[in-house]
Amino acid sequence: MLADLVQNTLDGLTAGAAYALLAVGFTLIFGVLRRVNLSYGAAILFGVYFATWTSLHFQADLLVLALLTIAATVLAGAYVERLCFAPHYPSRGSPRAGASSGSIAAMVASFALWMQFEEAAILALPQHLYAFPPLHTGEPLRFGQFFLRVESLYLLLAAVAVCALLYTILYRTRFGLAVRAVVDVPVAAQLAGINLSSVFVRIFALASAIGGLAGFLIAASHEQVTPMLGMWSTVKGMLAMMLGGLGSLPGAVAGGLVLGLVEAHSQWYFGPQMRDLIAYLLIFVLLALRPAWMTRWTSTRSAS
Amino acid sequence: MAALLEIKDLVTAYGRIEALRGVSLQVEQGSITCLLGPNGAGKTTLMMTTAGILRPRSGSIRFAGSEIAGAAPHRIVERGIALVPENRLVFPHMTVLENLRAGAYQRNDAGGIVTDIDRMFARFPRLKERAAQEGGTLSGGEQQMLSVARALMSRPKLMLMDEPSLGLAPLVVEEIFGIIAELHRDGTTIFLVEQNAHMALRVAHHFYLIEQGRITFSGDPGSLAEDEVIHRAYLGSAKV
Repeated sequence: MLADLVQNTLDGLTAGAAYALLAVGFTLIFGVLRRVNLSYGAAILFGVYFATWTSLHFQADLLVLALLTIAATVLAGAYVERLCFAPHYPSRGSPRAGASSGSIAAMVASFALWMQFEEAAILALPQHLYAFPPLHTGEPLRFGQFFLRVESLYLLLAAVAVCALLYTILYRTRFGLAVRAVVDVPVAAQLAGINLSSVFVRIFALASAIGGLAGFLIAASHEQVTPMLGMWSTVKGMLAMMLGGLGSLPGAVAGGLVLGLVEAHSQWYFGPQMRDLIAYLLIFVLLALRPAWMTRWTSTRSAS
Repeated sequence: MAALLEIKDLVTAYGRIEALRGVSLQVEQGSITCLLGPNGAGKTTLMMTTAGILRPRSGSIRFAGSEIAGAAPHRIVERGIALVPENRLVFPHMTVLENLRAGAYQRNDAGGIVTDIDRMFARFPRLKERAAQEGGTLSGGEQQMLSVARALMSRPKLMLMDEPSLGLAPLVVEEIFGIIAELHRDGTTIFLVEQNAHMALRVAHHFYLIEQGRITFSGDPGSLAEDEVIHRAYLGSAKV
């Protein structure tokens, strides 16, 4: 019984690390732009499918595939940014970069591009399922009676490394100073001479690169891809972001891990049909109750 | 003296409502110029338009000889205008030091920035004491000092100040106006919006009255009886 609990926790952390990576990219865009990018997962799908297509037609090293995934995802992200988000930046005419009709327009437009990416992926690779080169081919790690897939370690390490990198950028660089100023008080940031749209563009590129890395690691550890990856990434990333309190990076990581753990345990105790139901129920309860730690970040921001 | 800032027929609107209805004024190089007027007259709109946060519908803003109307805010900072905004708008979740660094965002001279931060700390010792504290934890007066210091970090030629005395205790207001006089002595041109007409007229070389989006009077302090100015600045020119 206890053994199951431990093994499920290990499995949950594995899935959770993937969710955490997805949530970090989501959070970066939402936290800085205050906009929901619905095509985030679809751009990842685009990147992963580009790498899959390459691996089907050419001999390509795993590292090359990783870089290709990231590059294609950033490209797709740039397309989304220019088409859906750039026209609505509150650079002029509105003294506050808050929720506006622009944020709805951007969200709806990003949904349209989600469909576009998905259709493009299915046109390029029409089968339901394709193999993706594996991240690791050896045995899983054994600790006594417990197993941990090596891929899980990669995912967890990547999540930690990405967070460390983001913290370095945010707290140690000039660009990070600009990002934090824009998040804190957009108008004051502009008055300090910070170019709002240039910060937004770079944040978008950074979030897309993280999404591409997440997509590559997920595809390579599942060793297969389906067109459902886009939807899956958006839903899981968004759930984890919401669990983490919307807009907080450590919250996004914690939210991802919690989501993974809740799924793993509820699958074991209540069966695979109940797994998603329980995860959604948790989100529902949290949104209904809105505990203080969940809304802290957003409320302090709007009060300032 | 030459005009450093020259605004002509400026119109800024929120949707269909014109907040500025053809404003023309000049700020002389090396002066303290003050804009007085009742609430809703368009004072903040004028400041925000000059700083590039709001885009004017028509008219011209010339600064040091070149047109800046409608330019992006970061371009205007680049040219040498800094705005100390209404309500101070310090970065509440960034430390005092980071607030100052953000003010110097466009500068590349790391050494000069460090020197200027030291100068700010010498001028505002309270900020030095609180260097590692978050902006949101400061008192109103300290936040105003920080907002002024942050604007100075861009080394502006022209400093726009929007109601720096708003909501501050009388003693702190005295301190703020002391700083304004000091900045002026150091060669910064100052364009000041104030509700506190009494204090403003003490430091200003020239003042304008704005009512309902139009300049209705301009002159030197003393060219109009102070209580007349105050009456119009608070209540508009309509006689009660």
